[in-house]
Amino acid sequence: MTTALRRTAVVGGTLIAAMAIGAPWAIADDVDEVLDRARESTYTATRLTVSVWGNQTQVIRERVEHSNGAEMIRIDETWSMVGNGRAIELGDAPQGVAFVTDTRPISTNRYVTGSTEPCRHMRRDCSLIPILEGGTLRAQMVVDERTGAPLITYVYDGQGRLYRTSSLSDFAPHRMYEWSKDPSAVPLEIVMHGESDALADSVAGYVLGDVFPGPAGAGSVQAYYSDGLFSYSLFVMPAATVVAGFEDADTLVSGSSLYSMVHTARDVRVQWSSGGERYVMMGDLPPDHLEAVLAELPQPEKRSMFARLWAKLFG
Amino acid sequence: MAGVERYDERMSILLSCYLDGELDRDELDIVVVALESDLDAIAEFRRLQAARRAVRTLPSLTVPLELVPGGHLTEELSAYLDGELDTIEMPDVVAHLDGCPDCRAELADLDRSRTAVRALPGLEVPSFLDVEKTVRASQRRRLMWPAAAAAGSVAAAALAFTIGFGGGAEPVSIDLTDLQARHTAIASVPSGVTAVEVSDP
Repeated sequence: MTTALRRTAVVGGTLIAAMAIGAPWAIADDVDEVLDRARESTYTATRLTVSVWGNQTQVIRERVEHSNGAEMIRIDETWSMVGNGRAIELGDAPQGVAFVTDTRPISTNRYVTGSTEPCRHMRRDCSLIPILEGGTLRAQMVVDERTGAPLITYVYDGQGRLYRTSSLSDFAPHRMYEWSKDPSAVPLEIVMHGESDALADSVAGYVLGDVFPGPAGAGSVQAYYSDGLFSYSLFVMPAATVVAGFEDADTLVSGSSLYSMVHTARDVRVQWSSGGERYVMMGDLPPDHLEAVLAELPQPEKRSMFARLWAKLFG
Repeated sequence: MAGVERYDERMSILLSCYLDGELDRDELDIVVVALESDLDAIAEFRRLQAARRAVRTLPSLTVPLELVPGGHLTEELSAYLDGELDTIEMPDVVAHLDGCPDCRAELADLDRSRTAVRALPGLEVPSFLDVEKTVRASQRRRLMWPAAAAAGSVAAAALAFTIGFGGGAEPVSIDLTDLQARHTAIASVPSGVTAVEVSDP
């Protein structure tokens, strides 16, 4: 028997982080309770996330301390903090960003949950929760019974092939207080709600959650979309904006259009230009969703011979 | 009774190491079991946590320079010359300068360097590159058509060069990691959050 997912808030984040940090969508009855517990759970663990895209595999290993809907994350020797609308880097030059937003309730029946099965993992009692989209397995979670923590998360593409896993090891059901810097002392950039009439309310099943001023100054916006399980941000900036980080990007062919794409263990980032604007989209959406979303967004402009020559000469 | 005291003392040490993340796997198992079932251990754990919290909230102390072996003023000298020292810092810096000939010499050197830099002649834009001057000159010499035409050409060329290559708005440069931080932050907003609270998780 399946249970319809009812999303009550347009917030999500990467699937892994969302399940661990935000668990923002509400699922009917018993699953709703499970995900609420995941958000409120307290644990310390090492999280390994592996993502496969085409013939590329990306891996990230991070130390995580999760509590009260937020996470302290250590990668190598650098700590960061994510949660409750904040992302704070606690490196040599600590800095952070914090969003002030009022999420609106939105319901969707895009996903359904399969029946929950009891299981054991790391000598702990767990539940295996399948999440289906139109009859296709989209994700599975192994949730620790005692803490509610998602010990393993599997994410599948449109053909039901596994493309991302996230698993916790060295799991301790409590905080370890391993970080040394105080995140409350870090200067924050506060981002308030913005306005834009040019953005669609819904794109390929992803609903516009909120709009914010973009980081590239006047005329740039950040739009946050979510389908309750996955999410992405669409940054619309003036075409002259230079976005560092796409220097070694791959080329993504979607439909008949070409995009610059960077794939990481947690998410995918795509860049293109159209109509005098530069677009950057990033999120944890699976490949088939990405293709559907890109098809509904402004298409990359095909450059004239002169434009290609200019780009070749002057970059 | 003595056995119980030894057990408590060991558990207290284990709990302290637990808070420091210094336990090996076996010790961690002992602590986890104790925290799940032993009320005394839980009480001790909370006491240790409270003590650590109290220590963390103590104001940070700066070691006076004169107590640091071989410690000398560096950035403070520059700030001292610029009059940018905090009221709190000033007495320490002055006291150190009073007793440290090395730092006094360094201060004198720094001051001489600044004076020398200030005395350097300023650079002027060559007149033929100064668009405003060229245009003004062309206006004054309306009757000298050939000269005015030449000046106008130079001005137009300079203006075109400026607009084409340097005078437009500087393209904004954004780092992908900044965009990623913004997405991660907004994606972590729980339902119904309307304000930002910054604290330990």
